[in-house]
Amino acid sequence: MLVRILVLLYLVGAPALAQTLCQPNASNGYRVRISIKTALGNQAYEWNENEMFLFQATMAFAMRRYYKTETYNVDNIIVCNQTRRVSFWFVVISPENPTMLIPKADVEKAVSALTTRLPCRPMSNSMSRHRINNAFLLTDRTLEFLGIHPTLAEPVNPDTPPWLIVFGVVIGAVFAGIIALLVSSLLQKRRKEKGMMEDGQDEEDRQMKGVENGINLDGIYNRGFTDDDRFTKL
Amino acid sequence: MGKDAARAEWDNPMQFVLACVSYAVGLGNVWRFPYLCQMHGGGGFLIPYLLMLVLLGVPLFYMELAIGQKMRLGSIGAWRAINPYLGGVGLASVVTSMYLCLYYNVINAWSFWYLFHSFQSILPWAECPVNSNLTGHVEECERATPTQYFFYRETLDISGSIEENGGIHMGQALCLLLAWMIVYLFIVKGVKSTGKVVYFTATFPYLVLIIYLIRGVTLHGSINGVKYMFTPKMEQLANPTTWINAATQIFFSLGLGFGSLIAFASYNQYNNNFEKQAIVVSMVNSSTSIFASIVTFSIYGFKATFNYESCLERVRLLLLNTFDLAEDTISLENVIHWIAELNRTHPEQFTSLGGRLETCDLEAELDTAVEGTGLAFIVYSEAIKNMPVSQLWSVLYFIMLLLLGMGSMLGNVIAVITPLSDLKFISRYMSTKTLNGLVCLFCLLLGLGFTTRSGNYWFTMFNDYGATFSLLFIVLIEVITVCYIYGIKRFEKDVEDMLGHRLNCYWKIMLAGVSPILLIALFIFYIVNYIQGGTPTYQAWNKELGKSVVTEYPPYAQAFIGLLLASSVCCIPLTALYTYCKKRNLASGKRERTVSTVSA
Repeated sequence: MLVRILVLLYLVGAPALAQTLCQPNASNGYRVRISIKTALGNQAYEWNENEMFLFQATMAFAMRRYYKTETYNVDNIIVCNQTRRVSFWFVVISPENPTMLIPKADVEKAVSALTTRLPCRPMSNSMSRHRINNAFLLTDRTLEFLGIHPTLAEPVNPDTPPWLIVFGVVIGAVFAGIIALLVSSLLQKRRKEKGMMEDGQDEEDRQMKGVENGINLDGIYNRGFTDDDRFTKL
Repeated sequence: MGKDAARAEWDNPMQFVLACVSYAVGLGNVWRFPYLCQMHGGGGFLIPYLLMLVLLGVPLFYMELAIGQKMRLGSIGAWRAINPYLGGVGLASVVTSMYLCLYYNVINAWSFWYLFHSFQSILPWAECPVNSNLTGHVEECERATPTQYFFYRETLDISGSIEENGGIHMGQALCLLLAWMIVYLFIVKGVKSTGKVVYFTATFPYLVLIIYLIRGVTLHGSINGVKYMFTPKMEQLANPTTWINAATQIFFSLGLGFGSLIAFASYNQYNNNFEKQAIVVSMVNSSTSIFASIVTFSIYGFKATFNYESCLERVRLLLLNTFDLAEDTISLENVIHWIAELNRTHPEQFTSLGGRLETCDLEAELDTAVEGTGLAFIVYSEAIKNMPVSQLWSVLYFIMLLLLGMGSMLGNVIAVITPLSDLKFISRYMSTKTLNGLVCLFCLLLGLGFTTRSGNYWFTMFNDYGATFSLLFIVLIEVITVCYIYGIKRFEKDVEDMLGHRLNCYWKIMLAGVSPILLIALFIFYIVNYIQGGTPTYQAWNKELGKSVVTEYPPYAQAFIGLLLASSVCCIPLTALYTYCKKRNLASGKRERTVSTVSA
């Protein structure tokens, strides 16, 4: 009889005790905000108790991965204060001692655990956050743990910046063009000189006439032959 | 008659027209005219603009082409031939063109830099870079915008003021080297090579503008920008600044006074019909300005609408998160309605939002009028990064900027090289190719100064003071010389000799009467503005605040500005004095000698 009463008290009291552990602005709790419609638009799913169960299961999974020795269960993740926004608070209790809350810092480490720095290999044991997001088809922006900042992906730094490669190609082409033009004009000049030497006699006669026809770079335009007398009044 | 039948010539008149178009249609059509349109009443600005084109632009353009084609010499030789005492006008043109050459190619270097950086999966100015410990973004970028950060920090690595010098930015120096090599490639064989290049540089920008027009008007929100631009605000016409800005825009857009037009025309056939060509080129230049501003404003409209809707989205999220409402209660359309509603129902919670609640205003976004390099490299890149397939649009856009800039550079460099190659002592000792190479090398080495950390401030100084005032003075002296000293009647006879018909009244009235008066008015306005403006100031980038602050120039920079202005303007009186002294010495020398076989 007494045992039954105790069991009854335990069954009633434990959730009540658990509920008092989870409160808004709890010192060891985190607030989660989920924006399904922003992320998925027309393909958004309803947030209901099953989804909440999935959340508790993924959080337990994250805690298990971080604390490799202890086995966390869905009951160890307590949620409360769910709003229409779809935001709620959760706390994590230790599996051995139901009254002990896991400190905030450890929960944060479990959520954003990072074992490799390459963002391009999500399938291996990389960010727990990534796995949590994927379970809900959301991103860091639409599944927010208020207070835990997502670590940004490390920038990919190639050895030669890509702009230098394009630059190298273009400047090589321009340089080749300049050399081609200069060489071709040099060849043309040499061909003309050779042609002139071959018919040298004709060239001389032509050149004599050329002087008279005005190809005289040293001459000055003689204004004596213009027919205006009003030059400049200065 | 002209000097030599061996002077190089354009292959056909089309090349000459395209060269003039390529020179006149430059970056100013894209980044200055839309700004002026916006500042001075949208569609209404077209009235003073077109009026000034007819009164000032076309006649002066005509006059420069006539001089070049008649004298068949570059600016120094041409003006010396018109009047030996005013050869300094040509020299002043060359000096001003030299300043322009030095700093203008730096813009092409920036265009190359942006073009090469467009070949990446994410455009580098789309997002802020991550800081060293991966916790957030670089603070300077957070305070400003990613496009501003990319321009001021990664492209220019700008210092805090003009006094703080720094090293040369290697990337910029390489791009400047490339720009000068391309200029050399285009001019190495004189007009033979330039003539072929202008087919491309004159026509391809129009292709890109048409593609951009189609893309621009199909963007979401572009109609807001176009409507905003074309709504005429007629009251702006009463403002004298509107008319003055219209006149200066026509003046500088056509590239008068640099000597480029004289140089281009000097390679013409003697009987080329430059009258028709002058009208055609001026019309093409103005219509391109109007066309480019439609494109610019559709892009503005897109950017303003995008920013406005992002602002609304942020406010919506803020309201949802603060009041814990379900996601689909507030949509973008009823955000404003909900703000009023929530203010009424939950006043205390609403006031706790405090400063985080932004006011989103589409008009204010459209009102941010920008001109110059800020428009081209910051505002446009911001709009492009939000377009789908942004890499393609970025590449197209910067290729267009490059072609416009290169086309104008060709005119600038030819304006310097043609008079130099006409000088006897240079043409005797070196070929055109060597002369071209030396000029390009000289400009490259001096231009490296603009790639230092404070280089952009020197660039702005050259841009604002290097060519504006001196050009007005030069063209004023040009018009007075041709009409009154050389004589409008002699000019008329020369034109009749070349074209076969006399000048009609329009040209005579404009050249002898209206244009000089307008130029004198502009000149006086500039002087008054300069004196009233107080100490000249510039915009210095403050990295702590993440924006530009107005700073005064230090004394040595102000002295340099004075030197810039004086150096080109002084050429005119100094050369007149020099010629006068030379003639007096020659005259007194003649009296002493009995037999004189004068050879100059």
